[in-house]
Amino acid sequence: MKRTGFLYDPRYLLHDTGPYHPERSERLEAIVKGITDAGLMPHLTKIKARRADQRWIETVHAPEYIHRFEEFSLSGRRTLDCDDNQMSPDTWEAANLAVGGVLEAARMIMTDEIDNAFCAVRPPGHHAERGEAMGFCYFNNVAIAAKYLQMEWKVERVGIVDFDVHHGNGTQHTFEKDASVFYYSIHQHPSFAYPGTGREFELGTEAGYGYTKNSPVLPGQGDETYQRLIQKDLVPAFQTFEPQVIIVSTGFDAHKDDEMADMSLSNDGFSWIMRTLMKMAEQHAKGRLLSVLEGGYCLERLPELAADHVKVLLDA
Amino acid sequence: MFVSQSMTRKVITVSKEMTVLEAQALMYENSIRHLPVVEADNLLVGIITDRDIRSALPYRLAMGQSDPQERAKYAHLRVADVMSVTPATIMPTHTLQDALLLIQEKRVGAFPVVDELGRLKGIISVRDLLRAFINVLGIGEPGTLLCIIVENQVGQLKCIVDAITEEGISFGSVLVARYWEEGKRAVFPYLLTNNVIRIKKKLKDMGYTLLDPMKWYMDQLPKSE
Repeated sequence: MKRTGFLYDPRYLLHDTGPYHPERSERLEAIVKGITDAGLMPHLTKIKARRADQRWIETVHAPEYIHRFEEFSLSGRRTLDCDDNQMSPDTWEAANLAVGGVLEAARMIMTDEIDNAFCAVRPPGHHAERGEAMGFCYFNNVAIAAKYLQMEWKVERVGIVDFDVHHGNGTQHTFEKDASVFYYSIHQHPSFAYPGTGREFELGTEAGYGYTKNSPVLPGQGDETYQRLIQKDLVPAFQTFEPQVIIVSTGFDAHKDDEMADMSLSNDGFSWIMRTLMKMAEQHAKGRLLSVLEGGYCLERLPELAADHVKVLLDA
Repeated sequence: MFVSQSMTRKVITVSKEMTVLEAQALMYENSIRHLPVVEADNLLVGIITDRDIRSALPYRLAMGQSDPQERAKYAHLRVADVMSVTPATIMPTHTLQDALLLIQEKRVGAFPVVDELGRLKGIISVRDLLRAFINVLGIGEPGTLLCIIVENQVGQLKCIVDAITEEGISFGSVLVARYWEEGKRAVFPYLLTNNVIRIKKKLKDMGYTLLDPMKWYMDQLPKSE
């Protein structure tokens, strides 16, 4: 059995998106319940959330944006940059704790206290751009973690895999010129789904050309298509790139019961993806894998999906 | 939606007296394929394209190789010798739709844009039109595409637009396409949001069919018996 860390903090629930928003605190409650009911909690190493040092956030986000976010949130404004991004005065604190918790999980992986981790955080991060909140995201947790691993722990090559049903525009843009971070995303085709980026021909720019890879999936497709594309586009790319740590943007919204998009992944389909990522982590990264929650909105399916996810991480 | 809003205003032009080899170099340096030919007061007298130049030169020179002896043989060629003297033009006040239809009809890559006195005001190329079309589709901005099947009767679109507007969602664009079934239309609103769960449910509750766009596409393909 693996030593798997689990990050969760009740303060993540305080990020209040209003009455009708799908990115709501019940998501995390469902995830915790699923893992608890499956009897997995005792096997997990609890990770304590703490506020991130702002210098790490500044590796990805513009200081003026961080400042604006703080001002808007604390002064009680209800949105940041777009109507999708509903927030409350506690959003600022939750977002800081999300980043800080993910960095703590990364630290514990690097000091070999744990092998891997699942970070059940809110708000999510992969749409957040350098200077703009987008798609329910404020701070790009995953991108900041990659920078932290490189700068604090001298990790030379970080591989990011994003299987949220939406393309992680913020993460891609952070690293598109960077050959030391490989960003791979599989998502619903951008002609049909938010945010409209992540097309096959987006392959990185300048020195980073060839270190971004996108597998857009047409609506209605499921397990088979995902497996075929991951085998074809991701596995060989990481074989060559040899990431030393794998960070996963984990979104459960490609599930067939998730109303946010039109994909048809089954529970087993998600487990297959995770087992494949675990194998790659074993092969290239000494098992070091950091999974960070992005989307996933079907409250009925989230408990099972989270429990299955953790089972694969535990290798139980 | 006018040509003047989408055209390129800073146009690189040539005179009739310029040599073809100079014009070729100018195109190469600026990565362009059309050079309007003008006289005094910016009066348009023709256009020279990379195709005109390729036709006028032997293959190796046309591909940009510079054998000095070979080049000398063609140094006498002037723009006036190879340009088109009556190019299709368009006016700044024409619409983008005019430009799209005209470009399809004339099978050219760009139009010089001229005023009523024939003076050059800009150039509009296929690339400019593509940019304008991307703008019309709204796909430069993040959003989600829905596909709704409606009865082909007056007022349907209004109900959909109202429902979406009530949710406080902005539109990137709305396209309407013919549906394969008699008396139906497919409406594709491009919504500038990630948050489509509620509006999808609302439209379904209103009795509309939300279609998987891929299914719609597959049904359009010719059926193999």
